[in-house]
Amino acid sequence: MFEDDETLQMYIEESLEHLGDIESDLLSIEETGENIDLDLVNNVFRAAHSIKGGAGFMGLTTIKELAHHLENALGLIRNHELTPESSRINVLLKGFDELENLLNNIQTSNETDISHHIQDLEKITRSSLPEEKQDMATQRVDIILKDQRIFPRVSLYDLEQCRVEGKNVFLVEYDLITDIHRKGKNPLEVLHSLQKTGTIIDCRIDFDCVGTLNQPLDSFQIPFQVLFASIIEYDMAETLFDISNQYIHAVTDKMTAPSTADQAHAQPAAMQAKEAVAMPDSNAVPPLTTEAPAAQSVPVQNDVPAQDGSPAMKQAAKPAGTSENDIQLGQKSQSSLRVNVGLLDTLMTLAGELVLGRNQLLQGINSANTKATELSSQRIDMITSELQEAIMRTRMQPIANILNKFSRVVRDMSHQLGKSIDLQIIGKEVELDKTILEAINDPLTHLVRNSVDHGIETPMEREQMGKDATGTITLKAFHDAGQVNLIISDNGRGLAPEKIAAAAIAKGLITEQQVAEMSEKAKMELIFLPGFSTASEVTDVSGRGVGMDVVVTNIQSLGGIIELDSTPGQGTDIQIKLPLTLAIIPSQITSVGNERYALPQVNLNELLRIPAAQVKEKIEKVGDAAVVRLRGELLPLLNLAQMLGIEKTFTDPATLEEQRDRRTSLADRRSRKHLTAQEASASEPVAEQEERSGKDRRYRASSAMNIAVVSAGTFKYGLVVDQLHDSEEIVVKPVGRHLKKCSAYAGATIMGDGKVALILDISNLAQTAELAAVSEAGQMARAAEEEARTQKDKAALLTFKNTDTGHFAAPLNLVERIERINTADIERIGGKKVVQYRGGALPLYELSQVADFDPLPEKERQEVIVFKVKDRELGLMVTPPVDTMEVVLDVDETTLKQPAINGSMIINGHTTLLVDIFEMVKALNPEWFAQETRAAADMAQNGEKILLFAEDSAFFRNQVKKYIEDGGFKVIEAEDGRLAWELLKERIDEIDLVVTDLEMPNMDGFELTRRIKNDPRFSHLKVIALTSLASDAHIEKGKSVGIDAYEIKLDREKLIAVIRQYLNLSRK
Amino acid sequence: MADEITKDTAAQSLEFSTFYVGGALCGINILNIQEINKHFDITRVPQAADHVKGILNLRGRIVTIIDLGAKLGLEPVTENKDNRNIIVNSEDEHIGLLVDAIKDVVSARQDAIEPSPSNIGGVKGKFFQGVLKTDKDLIGILDIDEVLKE
Repeated sequence: MFEDDETLQMYIEESLEHLGDIESDLLSIEETGENIDLDLVNNVFRAAHSIKGGAGFMGLTTIKELAHHLENALGLIRNHELTPESSRINVLLKGFDELENLLNNIQTSNETDISHHIQDLEKITRSSLPEEKQDMATQRVDIILKDQRIFPRVSLYDLEQCRVEGKNVFLVEYDLITDIHRKGKNPLEVLHSLQKTGTIIDCRIDFDCVGTLNQPLDSFQIPFQVLFASIIEYDMAETLFDISNQYIHAVTDKMTAPSTADQAHAQPAAMQAKEAVAMPDSNAVPPLTTEAPAAQSVPVQNDVPAQDGSPAMKQAAKPAGTSENDIQLGQKSQSSLRVNVGLLDTLMTLAGELVLGRNQLLQGINSANTKATELSSQRIDMITSELQEAIMRTRMQPIANILNKFSRVVRDMSHQLGKSIDLQIIGKEVELDKTILEAINDPLTHLVRNSVDHGIETPMEREQMGKDATGTITLKAFHDAGQVNLIISDNGRGLAPEKIAAAAIAKGLITEQQVAEMSEKAKMELIFLPGFSTASEVTDVSGRGVGMDVVVTNIQSLGGIIELDSTPGQGTDIQIKLPLTLAIIPSQITSVGNERYALPQVNLNELLRIPAAQVKEKIEKVGDAAVVRLRGELLPLLNLAQMLGIEKTFTDPATLEEQRDRRTSLADRRSRKHLTAQEASASEPVAEQEERSGKDRRYRASSAMNIAVVSAGTFKYGLVVDQLHDSEEIVVKPVGRHLKKCSAYAGATIMGDGKVALILDISNLAQTAELAAVSEAGQMARAAEEEARTQKDKAALLTFKNTDTGHFAAPLNLVERIERINTADIERIGGKKVVQYRGGALPLYELSQVADFDPLPEKERQEVIVFKVKDRELGLMVTPPVDTMEVVLDVDETTLKQPAINGSMIINGHTTLLVDIFEMVKALNPEWFAQETRAAADMAQNGEKILLFAEDSAFFRNQVKKYIEDGGFKVIEAEDGRLAWELLKERIDEIDLVVTDLEMPNMDGFELTRRIKNDPRFSHLKVIALTSLASDAHIEKGKSVGIDAYEIKLDREKLIAVIRQYLNLSRK
Repeated sequence: MADEITKDTAAQSLEFSTFYVGGALCGINILNIQEINKHFDITRVPQAADHVKGILNLRGRIVTIIDLGAKLGLEPVTENKDNRNIIVNSEDEHIGLLVDAIKDVVSARQDAIEPSPSNIGGVKGKFFQGVLKTDKDLIGILDIDEVLKE
């Protein structure tokens, strides 16, 4: 066989390239049927032809044979002698498949049995021929030259065919040495140029004429015979072939003779050639041993400088052999890559610049020139980025490489299943990293097969459903947000969520209860569960032992995401998002203890930081699991330190307790393990203690909680880490075999300082932590919390301090704003403090004026909370920190009751006093309330109005009742909606207005209102709803049941105003 | 060269790098050793087996460091200035063995190595290719593949 690596390699690559497009071309040919598109057929024909030409030259007999038969069949199609029916195209497709297979295993190709392909192909070609010609298709003839040399085994049919086309047939004898090598050509080029002007029927190297070593050098020759058909006449041939006329033989009928000894000719031609060398003509003057040409090739080269390194020489001289070299060659062909020359040039330029940059840097360092060093480091930084990008681009391959083959997959499968399917491929030019491309091949094939097998219905079913009998599958690739998106959609029957859920229950994958809580989408996503397969019978088409779970795992391991969307009866869309490359990934660097961990950006949703003061309040514990509330959603938390069994670094002894608290609240099921980890590290506490006290001042910052909100597939959780650092692009490196079992890591990377950081595997971490259980706990928490909300009222409070020790809070809705003023600006007028503020005088007070508290210390600047009462503003001087929070009001109204203080409650571990702003103002400025007092007196004269007030919280009941009574009304109290309803029925004659809380046990405000409004006896009553937080959804719901107005519980003034308005009492 | 080839392998001269681990004196054929260094900027790998000390950046390559003491079932290597990493090449991967201290390189003929007893100083015999007796010491010659087996 042919031995020149380079030429063979080139031939293989070129041939594979030819084959690349054949499949789709053939499919198109099949589609067009009788009205063939000549261009397409010619394309395929030429491909087969070029492959045949090269194979003949290389001695790849099996390939030549197969290509030749393929060519014949295609030639018939081209001449309209054969219609490209499905069955015929099938044979051709299989033939080309085999051809590709042979090319990929070039070393064993000659030994491969292709007889059934040949038979099939011959059957096709013969079927189109008239009777008398049928024999010709298989008949072989030898061409006998004048000097009795033989060009063996030429297909008679080919010769006939050429004659029919009016072509002349020539046998051209090139000499590889003088005609090709010395002219600076190579044999493939020659064949190519010949193909432009005619048809190459066959070619071979005539080893019989190679000659012997004792021949004079000038007569040394290696004839390369090409059997060529062209419309060119004999006299013109010399110019065409660029060789002397004596080597061009016009082939006439007289020269052909039926191939002798058909048995022998069953052996491929090149074998004969080989034999010819192995058994040289005994007449030849001193006979050569079999190996002579090969063994002698080196000395020949030495003796004849002109032939040195001649590829032709080596080709001819080494007739046979499979050395190790050959095997390596076969492998090489699979891993080579075509790179755009422009890109290579760019790389070269960049490499040059890099060297330049390095020189500058070295110079700068040697001369200790900081400026120059900085400049060159910037330059190197830039070049490196460009270089990285350019090198990445060399790895990029168009996705067409894998998408194209699906036409065939879909065609074959739909034939097999009796379906009619149209495949559309969009975005073939999208490029992806080679490794990713290879890795998504299998998952994609599975998905496409699924679509064909389970998605698209049979034509009959489709017609019954009123759909086009032909189904459509669309493969679409596009770039979006730095990711590659792949969508596989079909317009088939879609997924049936109920069926899937039922199957999942039947297989014991989930419980009925779980299903009951699932959305449609969640039910469909059950097909991603391991052990799930909906096909009632496993067909050999898509049931290949791989489930959707494997697809999901594969895609996730590539850092990709898969999403499912389906409408029953309409079709299914599966969307896959993939990163462009795997080798370098942007990551968020975090740290726990002394180690850094990289978190792939693709998994990262957001970063959360919970200040130390809010940790207790924001982190909740549900069962054993910790959760954090993030925009109304409960997010399970995983403590990375705990997961990995790392002891956290404490920074302040004072926080130790708090940290422990947090730990317990964060403890998941693995808490016991965590404890042992703590015990294990008990030997270190001394060192830690020192470290802690040294960093006292950073207490607040460091005890805050840093959470990276991450998601992987269906998991979404918060990962608690010690610190969040920068986002960096990291190079992924594999870890050793001893660490393969540690599923928590996706690999390792080297940081800028040379240390190694582990890359976290977000999905595996979640699985290790049994996060499904955690998220379940989160749902329980939500339910529990819903219940809690109906039981208890939450209110927004502003917390502040009077002196450093006293904690206070006031309703946030009364606060206008918070100011900081210079103490020097405070004026004292008539025993009152005021400050000039927005063109007016703002009266300033402090708590010590109304109740028994310490006076505020003298300071340079003073924080003032500005309240608005009775349309007038007043300032309350306080000590920071001033903060807002939402708390469940659980007020103790007795223990610490004082003037202007409603009561006390515990907020963040401090006993906090609730300031009654109205009481305070009333005590300080009784004249502001004079009008109100008068109105109340008026009302008492005109006959008292009576209000029904329903409220479950004793605190609010007392507070609000007091407001209303102060306004001159009488109040009938009820502890919940049901009692209010009973009272209303009994005392309807007395009641003028209903004021109700919304969230109450037994019967809530909405229900109460609905009953009132739907009962003709009461429907005339106005209903005012009191709420702590009026959300839009609430208001909407309230309106729908007939609530007339919404008021905020602690906004006394507005409440009174609205009550008056509804009772038609205007202020006088 | 030609001489050596013709020699009986039994008489072949071998060189062993010797070192202390958990009080025992062990040796590794120097042909197995890539390098010996004292980089201790080791990144811990939580959840890894106890004998895995961590991973190290060795000129851009991630190298797993194994605490040889812990691996052999002896005392884990205690930190001190004599600690060294012996980087060996095993199954196309570089792996570091953390040892207490490095001693000399000793030469010995192949036939001087005796089969190992079932237990050497508390270490299972399967970890050794054999033992080498010198004037003063008994050196356990480690079977690297066995030691680095999962």
